[in-house]
Amino acid sequence: MVRLRTSFATYVTVCVVAVHIVLLPALFFGMGYVIRKSHEDLFVEHARTFARVLAEEFEVSVALESRQRTEDLLDLAVLHGEARYAELFDGGVGTRSRLGSPDIAVPRHSDLGFGQGGDDIYYIVLPIVHAGHSAELRLGFDELPTQDRIHLAFGRMLWLLAGYLSVAIGIAIILSHRLSRPIRRLQDVSRAIASGDYAQVLNVSTGIRELHDLAVDLEAMRHELVGVNHRLQAKIKEKEQSEARREELQRQLRHRQRLETVGTLASGIAHEINNVLVPIILFTSTVLKDASLASGSRAYLERVLGAARRAKDVVRKILTFSRQLDEAKLTLIDLRVVTMEGLNLFSALAPPSIEIRTQISEAIPLVKADATLALHLMMNLCTNAYQAMEGADGVLTIGLRNSEQAGSDTGTPSRVELWVSDTGHGMDADTVERIFEPFFTTRSVGQGTGLGLSVVHGIVESFGGSITVETKIGAGSTFRVFFPAVRQANSVGDLMVPGG
Amino acid sequence: MQRILIVDDEGDVRDSIKSVLDLAGYTVRTAENAADALDQLERMPIDVVITDIIMPKMNGVQAIESIRKAFPRVRIVAISGGGNFGLAAYQPTAITTNAYLASAEKAGAHLVLTKPFEAEDLIEAVEKLLGVGHA
Repeated sequence: MVRLRTSFATYVTVCVVAVHIVLLPALFFGMGYVIRKSHEDLFVEHARTFARVLAEEFEVSVALESRQRTEDLLDLAVLHGEARYAELFDGGVGTRSRLGSPDIAVPRHSDLGFGQGGDDIYYIVLPIVHAGHSAELRLGFDELPTQDRIHLAFGRMLWLLAGYLSVAIGIAIILSHRLSRPIRRLQDVSRAIASGDYAQVLNVSTGIRELHDLAVDLEAMRHELVGVNHRLQAKIKEKEQSEARREELQRQLRHRQRLETVGTLASGIAHEINNVLVPIILFTSTVLKDASLASGSRAYLERVLGAARRAKDVVRKILTFSRQLDEAKLTLIDLRVVTMEGLNLFSALAPPSIEIRTQISEAIPLVKADATLALHLMMNLCTNAYQAMEGADGVLTIGLRNSEQAGSDTGTPSRVELWVSDTGHGMDADTVERIFEPFFTTRSVGQGTGLGLSVVHGIVESFGGSITVETKIGAGSTFRVFFPAVRQANSVGDLMVPGG
Repeated sequence: MQRILIVDDEGDVRDSIKSVLDLAGYTVRTAENAADALDQLERMPIDVVITDIIMPKMNGVQAIESIRKAFPRVRIVAISGGGNFGLAAYQPTAITTNAYLASAEKAGAHLVLTKPFEAEDLIEAVEKLLGVGHA
């Protein structure tokens, strides 16, 4: 992180410095030349003008007549013209100002340039014509003040450039930091997105269009990713849910199919057995009609006939039951009435070791069911509960209540729950799986056909209801039957609904 | 001589019914299926037909219809195992306690017996259809 910031800012700064390292010297020398040149030109201009004025003065005045006057004029040059040497040659005779510097060597050639000759003097030699004869005016102007001024200007320029460079570097640093901030932010968010964190919102405000566009695009991308992520997760969850639902439905279907198969099988077997019973009964009857039959044989055969008739009875019960379901008449009934009737019946039959308790609610909506079958159902449940508690004291609880489904205000109907609880031996998981199967029983041979709960299940199915079991080994079981409730009882009458 | 024809795909059923009727003095013939039954009906006069309703090939109810059409004077007893299982082909349109009986009766059977029946019930049914007790 730090490295990035430094390198970007440093990069910009170094670039700026590098550029200036190249430009500034050029600027420096360029400007220096200009300054020097303008100062020189000014000096030379000034010197020449002065020299010309002085020469003219010599030409027009009578100074040449007098040595004193000549010297005065020459002194003027030294005093006011910044000359360090002033001399007039007239006819081979030189008159020199005594105010000038005595140690200056006199050049023979004239009009050397500024700064040349190595002596800091700018010489001018002018011819003078006066009263018919010519003279020569020689002046040597001091270059030093001008050179000082030039150096001063150079110094100032140097400071100026240095100041400019500092400002430039400072601005470069500031700008690069300001630039690197949004870039760093972009990088942070990019890294977060790359590592799966879509939560950081990119909010970069920058005046630079490219960065702004990049930020906008990145934010759009992040937003899209968030959306995609959400959709994927929602889809996955949906899939899991529907998968779970499908598994549950399949499990229910398998359960139902098993029951149906067993039920259909039972019915089919019943039919086959009926067929088989015909020859058994008829042949045995025919043999028994033989008067010459030994009494022992007769006795045995009569028992065979008896057994065959009992078999017929069992089969009849099975077939009667399944027919009952088909032919159930569904009407609007009050389960409280059925429950009270069942209670009366059962408490008459139950032994004193069983304590019967009730939890019957006051307001129970009507349900669509067959009263006879509902009673049958209740008796079977009570019998089952009683059998679970056989041989010991126990408590049997019968309850009836209005069971609201979750979200019943969305139109899903409420249900009426009838439950029967016992404090018997309970059931293990394998038993619970199979209790509604016809002929499945945990009781010993001869103590029940195992049809009771399959009858209950069949009756519940015919009402369009459902049944659940809660059980714990050693603690007891609770069977809950849910009847779909009828909201309004506006058409009180029989509802003939074809069964099956 | 009262002739009775037994129609059932199961040999034991045929023979056991025959044993009862033989003992009671009737002349008994048997047929394995409806086609065989119709064939026998062509060849000799039959007074009572006792037929199973559920049989492979032509089913019993159709057999009853055919017999009634072809031999209107023959009396018919329908016998059935009594399970819903066998009546998958016939959707009961109304709820009756004996839906299968209804189909048989609709087809033209005069009496219906549900398997397994007692020998006495069988004799009683035959005598009823013949109008008089057997001499």
